[in-house]
Amino acid sequence: MDYTEKEMRDFYYTAVRMNTPVDYKTMREMKDSGLIESHRDLYGLSHMPESHIKEYCLSNVSMRKITEWLDRKDKVEKACGMYMSTAAQNDIKVISAHSFDYPVNFRLLGGMPEVIYCKGRTELLKRSSKNGSVAIVGSREAGSYALCATESYSRDLSDKGITIVSGMALGVDGMAHRAALEGKASTIAIVAGGPDNIYPSENRELYKQIASKGLILSEMPPSQQPLRQYFPSRNRLIAGISDCTLVMEAGAKSGTLHTASFAAAQGKEVFVLPNNIYCENAVGGLRLLEDGCCVLYSIENVIDSVSQAILCRRMEYPDLMEADETDCGPSDMRSGDKDRLAMLKIKADKTPEELTDDEWKALIEDKLSVKPLDIDSLSGFLGLPFYRLSELLVGLQLSGKVVLENGKYALTFI
Amino acid sequence: MSGKPSIARIYSGFTRGTECVISELEISVTPGIPTFSVIGLCDSSIRESHGRLISALGSAGFKMPKGHVTVNISPAYMKKSGSGFDLAMALGILFASGQMKYPSEKRIYAEGELSLGGSVKGTPGAALRLNRAGMAGFEFVLFPEDERDSARCTGSDGQCVESLSDACTVFGFTGYRPEHFEMGDVEVPASQRIDISMLKGQEKTKRALILSAAGFHNMLLLGSPGSGKTMAAGILAGILPPMDPEETGEVYAMYEALEGASAKISTERPVRMISPDITPGKLLGNAVSMTPGEMALSDHGVLFADEIMQFPSQVLDLMRKPLEEREVRLFHNGSVCSYPARILFVGAGNPCRCGLFYEPGSRCRCSPGSRRRYMSKLSGPFLERIDIFSEMRSIGKNDMALMYADGSDAQSPEIKEKVATCWAMQRERYGAKTFNSCVPSSDIAETMRLTKDILEYCSELASKGLFSARGYQKTLRLARTIADYEGRPDVTRADVSEAAMFRAHEL
Repeated sequence: MDYTEKEMRDFYYTAVRMNTPVDYKTMREMKDSGLIESHRDLYGLSHMPESHIKEYCLSNVSMRKITEWLDRKDKVEKACGMYMSTAAQNDIKVISAHSFDYPVNFRLLGGMPEVIYCKGRTELLKRSSKNGSVAIVGSREAGSYALCATESYSRDLSDKGITIVSGMALGVDGMAHRAALEGKASTIAIVAGGPDNIYPSENRELYKQIASKGLILSEMPPSQQPLRQYFPSRNRLIAGISDCTLVMEAGAKSGTLHTASFAAAQGKEVFVLPNNIYCENAVGGLRLLEDGCCVLYSIENVIDSVSQAILCRRMEYPDLMEADETDCGPSDMRSGDKDRLAMLKIKADKTPEELTDDEWKALIEDKLSVKPLDIDSLSGFLGLPFYRLSELLVGLQLSGKVVLENGKYALTFI
Repeated sequence: MSGKPSIARIYSGFTRGTECVISELEISVTPGIPTFSVIGLCDSSIRESHGRLISALGSAGFKMPKGHVTVNISPAYMKKSGSGFDLAMALGILFASGQMKYPSEKRIYAEGELSLGGSVKGTPGAALRLNRAGMAGFEFVLFPEDERDSARCTGSDGQCVESLSDACTVFGFTGYRPEHFEMGDVEVPASQRIDISMLKGQEKTKRALILSAAGFHNMLLLGSPGSGKTMAAGILAGILPPMDPEETGEVYAMYEALEGASAKISTERPVRMISPDITPGKLLGNAVSMTPGEMALSDHGVLFADEIMQFPSQVLDLMRKPLEEREVRLFHNGSVCSYPARILFVGAGNPCRCGLFYEPGSRCRCSPGSRRRYMSKLSGPFLERIDIFSEMRSIGKNDMALMYADGSDAQSPEIKEKVATCWAMQRERYGAKTFNSCVPSSDIAETMRLTKDILEYCSELASKGLFSARGYQKTLRLARTIADYEGRPDVTRADVSEAAMFRAHEL
């Protein structure tokens, strides 16, 4: 696998962050002062004379950190090369805030990593922001009740087209991934180490499955071992990428509680599975309930919460949900779709008899993507006679793209 | 006065339900102290004829004979009622008493009620009686002037009489001058039905109405209050083709039996509305009094049950058998009385307690459980009689404006024409009065020209949960109607797809 020049700079940024004291604060200071525009400019900066940097009034602390980086330039470059070769060997993609695939939910939050590393199907990132995603987290030694609930909720949500996000740990996390893969949608595992690192090693089989059918995501560069201090930061990504969080079981001092508090801080709903009060490993979850989290008892509530989140994204940031972005041409499918739809709409107005079935279906799906509609309204919007429309809708129902719910036709997000 | 007969024979008739029995009246006059008795299980309406006869005979210039007058009406074991025997009795008395020459070799049929002044009036059930009398081959048929319409409907031969004196002249010098009556052209009043174009923005219901008319499919409309469900029933009546003379006659006879001479001959199909407070007797008919119910009265037409969810479920279930057998059968004291009920049933109601389930925007506050309970009033077997389901919504602002803006382009007449050709195709395929909806279910694949591909496609749709297993055949029948309406010889996949849209997905 070859990386572009731009991607190489993404690797370089991670190398700087991992091997020098340059941190988030320093980065922001550099950006605020106009020294750099984005994280990709770090590579260029390393070839500048130090005097150039000094022209921008940076704080002493930052200046010291930058000097230290520049002193260790060789080491950083070596690390960067090592990351790239490991990434290439393991088929790992790098995605930065500049690329099209970068998760929309990350863009909407502050403090999310500028560069992430992925292994597997990166299109899941776009799909999860379009169809919604749910984090399912919980204890590593969960009871059979929590595991059973995890399995059913994960599969049911996945069947509804919702991507399941978890941390690939033992217990609840692993179960959530497995059940999600059995459902219709897929799963994203966010790991604490590099995406090539299998942790815990018991999950080797699961790792392989997710790598082929789902997506493994990390903010850590390839070959990085998962260190103890990385886990809370990883939990923040799990909460950040998903639209709501389900806590299946959490002990009094569980890491799961981190995920829940991150989610709450990001303004996302946290659902907690109510558990036995005599079960010691469930106290954390019960405390969350006491603090006002939602009780997890029906899949409908979760779906409502997810659809609300999707709707908000659509309403408030329509351009983020639509095709956008500067580089990474190949996956630029959506903007093509948009043009095509616009063309189709004009064609439907002028010469409706020339449209093929598939073209009409695309128009129907486009109409339904905003909200579920009844057949009379659809017929009104598209100006299509009833018998034609019914034929197309039954076709869409047969292929499982559309379902009839409460008298209205809705997209299934598959 | 030669050979004065002591007994005169004359014929008349009476109805039981939709059946008519011709009865023979024997009148004897024997000397003695004057008495008058009528025998043969007659009710008081017949026995009371004594008073009418005395006065009417007097008005016509005759006399009630002095002696025992006995009238025997056969068959004597059947209960009979009605004042239609008056004219026959009067003529019989005149013959028996020798006041008029008795043509004893002729078979005479006479019916009509006498007034005190001697005029003859019609009685309900004339259409049925005259129809029967026409078949029995009488030499003289006399009936009141009022029953001219009934005679037209039945195509009878006979003579109308206005009074007893009129009737007597038939046996006097003017003689019997029969006329042949025929339906002829029925004056069709301009249709008062609402045009289908008024149904703006409700494409599904519009199509449902057309298909329902085209294949005589029973239909259920669910929608919020004010979404135009009742209007839909009126529209449906407006797109049904007019009745042929035979059907017109049958419908007229039914109404005439109930209302008498005030019934009107019309080729427009009857539309009967029933409301939730209807009693089983009103719906099916009363077996004791032999009066037809609403189901019989909507024969060849539309029976519209408004607010179907408010009906007691046992009343709905009473309709199951008649809808299936296409006739109402009533049992009383071991005798069966049946009325034909070839009806197009339309039910309309709310989809849930608040009625807003199908409204745009989720305004409905009913829980899924309460909705299920609400719908459970319609039993499974009842729903099995329903071929088409359609939901209705209240009309949007724009459509409301359109409704009154361009009401000019009436579409109903054109659709009516297409429905009529569609019926003609079905008549050719199955024979008279059988539609796609009621063809016996054996071998529909062959009679409806359904290919193997179509059958497979239909079962694929069923397996994907688009309709239930019992909806399978209904879907095929409806698909056949769609193909007929669109003028296609064979059913296509598109027809099946469309038919699937009208199945009850969520009931």
